[in-house]
Amino acid sequence: MLFATLLIQNSKGSDMESPLLSIKNLTVDFKTTDSEMRAVDNISFDVPMGKTVGIVGESGSGKSVTSLAVMRLLPQPPAHITGEILFQGKNLLGLPEDEMRKIRGNNISMIFQEPMTSLNPVFKTGAQVAETLMLHRGMDKKTAWEKTIDLFNEVGIPNPSQKVHAYPHEMSGGQKQRVMIAMAIACDPKLLICDEPTTALDVTIQKQVLELLAKLQQEHKMSMLFITHDLGVIADIADDVVVMYRSKMVEKDKTRSIFETSHHPYTKGLIACRPDLGANPKRLLTVSDFMDEEGKGLMVTRERIQVFEKDYAAKNSNEVLLEINDLHTHFPIKGGFLGRQVGEVKAVDGVSFKLQRGKTLGLVGESGCGKTTLGRSILRLVEPTSGQIIYNGQDITKLAAPDMRLLRRKMQIIFQDPYSSLNPRMTVGEILTEPLVVHGLGGSKREQLDAAKMLMEKVGMKANQLNRYPHEFSGGQRQRICIARALMLRPEFVICDESVSALDVSIQAQVLNLLLDLQEEFKLTYIFISHDLSVVNFIADEVGVMNKGKLVELDRADRIYKQPREDYTKTLLGAIPKGLPKNLESFINS
Amino acid sequence: MSSQDTRSLWADAFSRLVKDRWALISLLVVVTYALVALMATLGIGMPDWRSSLGIEYLAPSGEFWFGTDLFGRDVFAKVIHGTKIAMSVGLITSLIAIPIGVVIGALAGYFGGWVDDIISWFITTFSSIPNIMLLISITLIMGKGLLSVYLALGMTGWVGLARLIRGEVMKHKEREYVQAASALGGGHYRKLFVHILPNVTHLVIINTSLQFQTAIKSEVILSYLGLGVQGEPSWGTMIDDARMELARGVWWQLAGATLAMFIIVLAFNILGDALRDALDPKLKGK
Repeated sequence: MLFATLLIQNSKGSDMESPLLSIKNLTVDFKTTDSEMRAVDNISFDVPMGKTVGIVGESGSGKSVTSLAVMRLLPQPPAHITGEILFQGKNLLGLPEDEMRKIRGNNISMIFQEPMTSLNPVFKTGAQVAETLMLHRGMDKKTAWEKTIDLFNEVGIPNPSQKVHAYPHEMSGGQKQRVMIAMAIACDPKLLICDEPTTALDVTIQKQVLELLAKLQQEHKMSMLFITHDLGVIADIADDVVVMYRSKMVEKDKTRSIFETSHHPYTKGLIACRPDLGANPKRLLTVSDFMDEEGKGLMVTRERIQVFEKDYAAKNSNEVLLEINDLHTHFPIKGGFLGRQVGEVKAVDGVSFKLQRGKTLGLVGESGCGKTTLGRSILRLVEPTSGQIIYNGQDITKLAAPDMRLLRRKMQIIFQDPYSSLNPRMTVGEILTEPLVVHGLGGSKREQLDAAKMLMEKVGMKANQLNRYPHEFSGGQRQRICIARALMLRPEFVICDESVSALDVSIQAQVLNLLLDLQEEFKLTYIFISHDLSVVNFIADEVGVMNKGKLVELDRADRIYKQPREDYTKTLLGAIPKGLPKNLESFINS
Repeated sequence: MSSQDTRSLWADAFSRLVKDRWALISLLVVVTYALVALMATLGIGMPDWRSSLGIEYLAPSGEFWFGTDLFGRDVFAKVIHGTKIAMSVGLITSLIAIPIGVVIGALAGYFGGWVDDIISWFITTFSSIPNIMLLISITLIMGKGLLSVYLALGMTGWVGLARLIRGEVMKHKEREYVQAASALGGGHYRKLFVHILPNVTHLVIINTSLQFQTAIKSEVILSYLGLGVQGEPSWGTMIDDARMELARGVWWQLAGATLAMFIIVLAFNILGDALRDALDPKLKGK
C-alpha cells in the first residue's frame, strides 16, 4: 500500500519534472510618470508538455498581460517585469531580442482575439502564411506556397488551393481565424498561446474552432496556453485552469477539480454566474453572492440559489402590445458605374409575430441573420421595405415623423457596445437628461437631474456620479448608464440588442439580473436580441430563432430548448459549450 | 482615476498638451506673435516703420536690430508690421474658411445621398485646380490688395477641412450614440450639432493650426509676386525687396522676414502635431 502510494507520487513527480513553460513569481508593473499600476502580481504556474492550461479572469485581471509577457511583447518601459519565464529551461526574460525573435513565431506562436484586424487587409491570406514559412523555415517561395495550401487544408478551409489567393475581406470571421491558426501552427510551435480566440465568433463557429484547436494540439503534440473570460469554453478544452482576479492568481488546479471543488469564492462566482440551459433560476448568482468588496468569502444561502420553474402562464395576458406582419427590410447593393443598384440584401425577409405586454421575446441567430435589422426596423431606425408594425393597436409603419417622435417615448433600445453608445463629450448627467430635454418633459433642470439621480440608483450606480464623463466608467457601468438612459422616458417597450454580449460573464449576470428587476418594477416588455442561447433561455419567455432573414422557429422558451423542431435550432443548441456542473446545490457548502 | 475629481476630454487634452515641453514653447511663440500683432494693430508701443530713422542700408546694430532699408527705415519695425499682416491674414482666412469647411463637410457627411454627391463633386473640382493659380486669378479679378488676399485664401482654404469633416461625420453618424439619440426622438439638428459636431471639433482645432500657417505662407508668396499687400511692408514684399539688395551684400531684410516667418511656421507645425496627439480621442475610452 505504502509502496503503491510512493509509486504514484513518483510517476507524478516525473510527469511534472520538465514542464515546457514554467512561470515563476511573474510580476508586471506599468510605470508612467504619474502613475504606477500592478497588472500581474506574483503569479507562478507551469504548462506541461502536450497539455492545455487555461487562464480565466475578467477584463483587466492581467491574463492578457501574462501572455504578452511570455511572448516578450510588452514594451519596456512602461512595463517593468520581474520573475522568471522558463521555456524549455531557458529564461525568456534574459534573452537578447534577436534570439527572442527566433523563438517567437517558431517555437511559441500566438492567436489573437480579433481575426478582422490581425490579418493585413492588403495582402492575400496565403501570402501572409507563406511569409511566416519563408522567414522562419527558410523555404523558397514555391515550397512555402505548397505548404500553405496543405496548412489551409489542415485547418479546414474549403478549396484551399483557391482560398490561398483570397484577401482577408473575402473570408468570413471563422475562416479568418482559421487562417490565423494556420499561420500560428505553420512552424510547428511547441507552445501555442490563444488569447480569447473565439470571443468574437458566433457560437457555432466557436465550437468548430475549439474542436480544430483540440485536434491540432493532439496531432502536433503542442502545449497550449488558452486565455478566456468564459469558463464554459475552458471546461471543454483545458487540462489545468489558472483563475486570475485583480492581477493575482487566486486558484490553480485540474479543470475537473476547479469545477467540482473550487475553493476560492471568486471562482465559485464565476462558475455560477453563467446562465445554464438546464436550470431556470429566477436570478443569476453573481460573484458578489460569493464574496464581498474586499474579496472575503460569503456563505451562500439556500434561498439565493433556489431554482424556479418559470411560470409561463403567469405572464399571460390577452393584450398584444406588438404585432409584426410579414415585415421585409431590404438593402440595395450598389455597384458598377454611377452606383446603379445591382441587387438587394434581404436582411429581414417576411417576419411575423405577436408579443404580449409584459413578456420577453428572445431573438437568437448567428451574425448576419437579420436579428439586429429586425430590431431597428421595429423602432423604424431603419425604414422597413414592406409589411406592417402594429404597436398597441396602431399601425406605425407609415407614421409621420412628429407622431413617431411622440411614440419614441414608449419604445426604446439598448445597444451592444457600451463604448460607442455614449457620447464621449457629454457628462452622464447630460446624457441622462437629454431624453427629457428632447421631449420637453420633466420640468426644470433641477427636476430633470433629480429624475436622472433616481434612475442612476435604480440601475445600481451612485447618484453623485452625474457630472462624470463616460470614459471614467467600466464597460459594465456604462451599460448600466445606457439602460438608465433608455428608461428616462418611462418606456413600456425596450429592445435590448446584444446588450450584454460585450460584457464579461460575471458582469453579464449582474446586468441580466438588473434587466429582470427593472422589467418587474416598470412593467416592461422586452425584445432581447442575442447570439448567446443560454442568456436568452434565462431571460426570455418566448424565443424566436432567425436564419437568413427569416424566423425559422418561434415557441415558448422551454419548448425550444427541450424539443427543438428545426435542424438549424438543433445545430445552434449543440454548439453551446458544456462541461459546467449542473448542480447549483454544490455551491452551498464551502 | 480617483473617485472625486472628474475631467472632461477637453481638460484631459489640455493637461496632456502642456506636459509636452515643445508644444508649450510653440504655444508661447504663437501667443507672443498674436500679442505683437494685436499691439501693432492698436498702435501701442510698437516701433514706427514709416519714417526714416537712419541712413540707408545700416547693418544690424544695437539701435537697429535688423538694420535699415533703402530709405533708412527700421527693418525690425517692418518685420513687426509684417507680423501684423501675417497674423491678420491667418486669422481672417481661418474665420472665413473654417465655417464654410465645417458646414459643407458636415452637411455632405450627415445627409449623404445626392447632397453628398453634389458637394463631393464641388470639392473634387475645386481641389483639382492648382491652388496658386486659383489665388492669382482671384486677386487679378478682384484687384490687388490685402482684401483680395483675405478673400482668395479664405475661399480656397476650406476644401481640405470640408473633406476631413465629411469623412469624420460619416463615421460618427453610424456610431451607436447617434442612433441612441434617434431612438430617443432627437431630430437632425440635435444629432448633428449636439452629438456629432462636438466629437469632430478637435479636428477643426488641429486643422486651424495648420491652416493658419499655410495662409501665412500663401500671403508671403502672393505679396512676393506683387499680387498681395500694396504700399505697406509684409514679409513677402520684404523678401521681394531683398532680391535687389542681396547683390550689394545687404542680407538683413531677407534674414529678418525669413526668420520671423520660419519661427511662426515651425511653431504652428509643432503645435499642430502636439494638438493631434493631445486631442485624439482614439486613445481614450478603452
